[in-house]
Amino acid sequence: MIMDWALLTEWTIKSLVLIFGLIGGFAYLTLFERKVLARFQVRIGPNRAGPHGILQPIADAIKLIFKEELIPAKADKIIFIVAPIITVIPALIILAVVPFGPDIRLFGRTITLYISDLNVAVLYIMSVTSISVYGIVLAGWSSNNKYATLGGIRSTAQMISYELALGLGFVGPILLSGSLSLVGIVDAQKNVWFFLYQPVGAFIFWVANLAEVNRAPFDMPEAEQELTAGYHTEYSGMKFALFFMAEYIKMIAVSAIAVTLFFGGYRGPLVDQFPVLGPLYFLIKVVAFLYLMVWVRATLPRIRYDRLMAFGWKLLFPISLGNVLLTAVGIGLVGITGNNLWLWFIPVSTILFFLLVSHFAQGAVAGGNK
Amino acid sequence: MSAQVVTENVDLLEKFPQSVKQDDRAGYAGYIVSADHLLEVVRFIRDDMGFDYLASITGVDYLPNGLMEAVYHFYKTSGGPGLVIKTQVDREQAAIPSLVSLYPGADFQEREAWDLLGIRFDGHPDLRRILMWEGFAGHPLRKDWHEPYYEEEGKPYKSRWPEGKVYRREDKNPFHKNVDYPAGFDPDKWVPDDDSTLYASVNKISSAGGESGIKTDYVIVNMGPQHPSTHGVFRMVVALEGETIRALKPVMGYLHRNHEKIGERNTFLQNMPFTDRLDYLSSMSNNFGYALAVEKLMGIKPPERAEYLRVIMAEFTRISNHLFAIGSLLNDMGAYFTPMLYAIEERELILDIFEATAGSRIMCNYFRFGGVARDLPEGVEEKMRDLAFKRLPRKIDELDLYLTNNEIVKARGEGVGVLTPEQAIAYSASGPVLRASGVPYDIRRADPYSIYDRFDFDVAVRYHGDVYDRYLIRVDEMRQSVRIIQQALNGLPKGPIQEGKPQYLVRVPAGEAYGRVEAPKGELGFYVVSNGKANPWRYHVRAPSFVNITALETMAKGNKVADTVAILGSIDIVLGELDR
Repeated sequence: MIMDWALLTEWTIKSLVLIFGLIGGFAYLTLFERKVLARFQVRIGPNRAGPHGILQPIADAIKLIFKEELIPAKADKIIFIVAPIITVIPALIILAVVPFGPDIRLFGRTITLYISDLNVAVLYIMSVTSISVYGIVLAGWSSNNKYATLGGIRSTAQMISYELALGLGFVGPILLSGSLSLVGIVDAQKNVWFFLYQPVGAFIFWVANLAEVNRAPFDMPEAEQELTAGYHTEYSGMKFALFFMAEYIKMIAVSAIAVTLFFGGYRGPLVDQFPVLGPLYFLIKVVAFLYLMVWVRATLPRIRYDRLMAFGWKLLFPISLGNVLLTAVGIGLVGITGNNLWLWFIPVSTILFFLLVSHFAQGAVAGGNK
Repeated sequence: MSAQVVTENVDLLEKFPQSVKQDDRAGYAGYIVSADHLLEVVRFIRDDMGFDYLASITGVDYLPNGLMEAVYHFYKTSGGPGLVIKTQVDREQAAIPSLVSLYPGADFQEREAWDLLGIRFDGHPDLRRILMWEGFAGHPLRKDWHEPYYEEEGKPYKSRWPEGKVYRREDKNPFHKNVDYPAGFDPDKWVPDDDSTLYASVNKISSAGGESGIKTDYVIVNMGPQHPSTHGVFRMVVALEGETIRALKPVMGYLHRNHEKIGERNTFLQNMPFTDRLDYLSSMSNNFGYALAVEKLMGIKPPERAEYLRVIMAEFTRISNHLFAIGSLLNDMGAYFTPMLYAIEERELILDIFEATAGSRIMCNYFRFGGVARDLPEGVEEKMRDLAFKRLPRKIDELDLYLTNNEIVKARGEGVGVLTPEQAIAYSASGPVLRASGVPYDIRRADPYSIYDRFDFDVAVRYHGDVYDRYLIRVDEMRQSVRIIQQALNGLPKGPIQEGKPQYLVRVPAGEAYGRVEAPKGELGFYVVSNGKANPWRYHVRAPSFVNITALETMAKGNKVADTVAILGSIDIVLGELDR
């Protein structure tokens, strides 16, 4: 009985820490993005609220909370209100299965730095991330606005196209580690990060992630220049903030997942001796990925919607299929010969395959233009 | 303008002895064609005389004579001087055959003349108001149309200066209800126009589709007037099939303030700062065009140093405008402000020079009739040299390096929004839009004004006519502008900057003049008619943004929504000039 109570407290505390960490992380990610973007654009960025603008997110939050919430007269009110909630909740719960560090001992208990070691964690992530697209589609549809509807339709099509490549990107690490649990996958990367075995898989996973979280250059559903604000055109105040929050929390989540799958998760030098270093390494890696996302946004124009679809189906999808096949072949060769060196067959062959396909597919993708 | 008549008059007068006569009013040139034979004569002008480019259409209301006159300016895209013809009709029943069937580019300009002057163009496919709203009472540029609280024809209004103190008419009204409604109009009961004529004109075109045989409806989307990528309060009504554009109608006039009516109230010099507000990104070029037109009327020429300063300023303006245009084009493609801000950095340095010289960064008001307002202050020439010889060439190369070969820029631009050379000429497109379509027509070369014939520069031309080429041509033109500035700085003579004494009230003899310059956005023309008084009788602006937008539908049809935004960005419009 006493054990259950302790376990419950531990879970509650961990969940609260995770959720508040994510919400706080979201707030400061916006500041981080604005600062970094400003540096890319020969500007200074926010520097009025607090020293170096560190109070800016708080000012933003206060503004958004007290802003008037408008619901268009002809909107479908219930769906209009539910849609942002549907979008934000999956974003908050994705990270439940991601380990942030090795087990640590505290108060005589072994505390695991993940909320749950689900044995089908990868499936969990896949299914939870897909839910949020409903929020976007419903938001677009219920707003009774043509831009919003177009944005919603775009996002459905985009998600379907990219989910496939994303799912196949997961398969590489699963095959290599022989586990669907993220804890298992991190443990399998004790010696070699999977990025080295799966360079192409990691790349595709990353590109598909950008599309999944609607980041530039794949920010079709909310393409400002075309659709004003896409699916959230009619949203204001806190409901808008929820969409905003979902996008940024998902950025954090997919960066964390990418780190876990391909870059050894919390692993790094000396982490076994000093478990506290685990979360630190994890944080550094996640921030590096977030920086990458901002960098891409500052650098690249938006790809056109129909070419994005062509890119997803004609380039990413076949490459990720080939990647899975070649990974399986590599692992099979290890099994037959018993020599682990055959694992290096995977990166070599997949990179060659990638270059080959992208060379020939260029025409096919460009053909979608005409 | 009088020189051109000699070479051409044999042809027209001999060919149409009944319907064409010489315009022999003092200070006027060209021919007067009778309205009944207009189409016939214009077809001859286009097909046999080779004037394939209809630069400008406008009208003049000669109230004292009871005449309404339409004025057409034709040019050859192979270069050379132009041809002016006029058609005079009774101003009460003003109806003239439309030229849209011969020159599609006449479309918007004829609508403008109908809207503002009430000249009906018979045979125009879609003759609606264009700058004023449907339901507006009267045609404001007619001389007998008076605005609320009308005082007198020309400024300065005597009532504003009783005993030498300024007062405004509105101030007499304690609640500032300075609105005057037509008789029988109650604003509380007024129902706004539901755009039915507009949507009808979109549907007229869009209902022709349907390749698959399945009956589908088009979605009509209003892009604008509140839309982030229409560069202001511009509105496009598009009929969409999926995301593909099937029909598009531009709607404008949200920023309309009847520049021309105000201009006709102003004195000649008062119009100079007012032209700044047209294309507010390149005010120096606007000054240039207006100064040329009035100088033609007055028959004066600025001194050497002023000519050089004018050219330097106009070319700097071109660079700053093209930087801005490229920045916003990339923005329209979805590059999140990064290219824009790097472009603005250079533009700021150019504006510094303007500020030091003219006293203002954007609204420069630098040109005067027969000269410029101020000489260069100390140190500015060095700044210019530094920019023109060192910094700008390097920065343009940098822009080129990072943007030109970007995969996504290429993918978004190549083959999108194509305008063939024939279409570009027919639609009277000008400036970068025309030259990107493979027509090497640059007024600085084709019909040189000021001292452009002295400089060694190339007319930039590209051949695909798509968004990507319209981007490239701006990079090319910036390089050529740098070359011109370098030569002008090296040749800058010493001397006076103003012909005669600067004066507030210039005397402009009666007559007409059309001053055209190659503004950054295209051909900027000022058609000015003087009757010898202090205010122009007619002051018409042929705005490049306005005429270039005529071809928008042709460019956008069959492309995606996202492309429309890029196409609009590649035309480079400024609403101050488009709506006037």
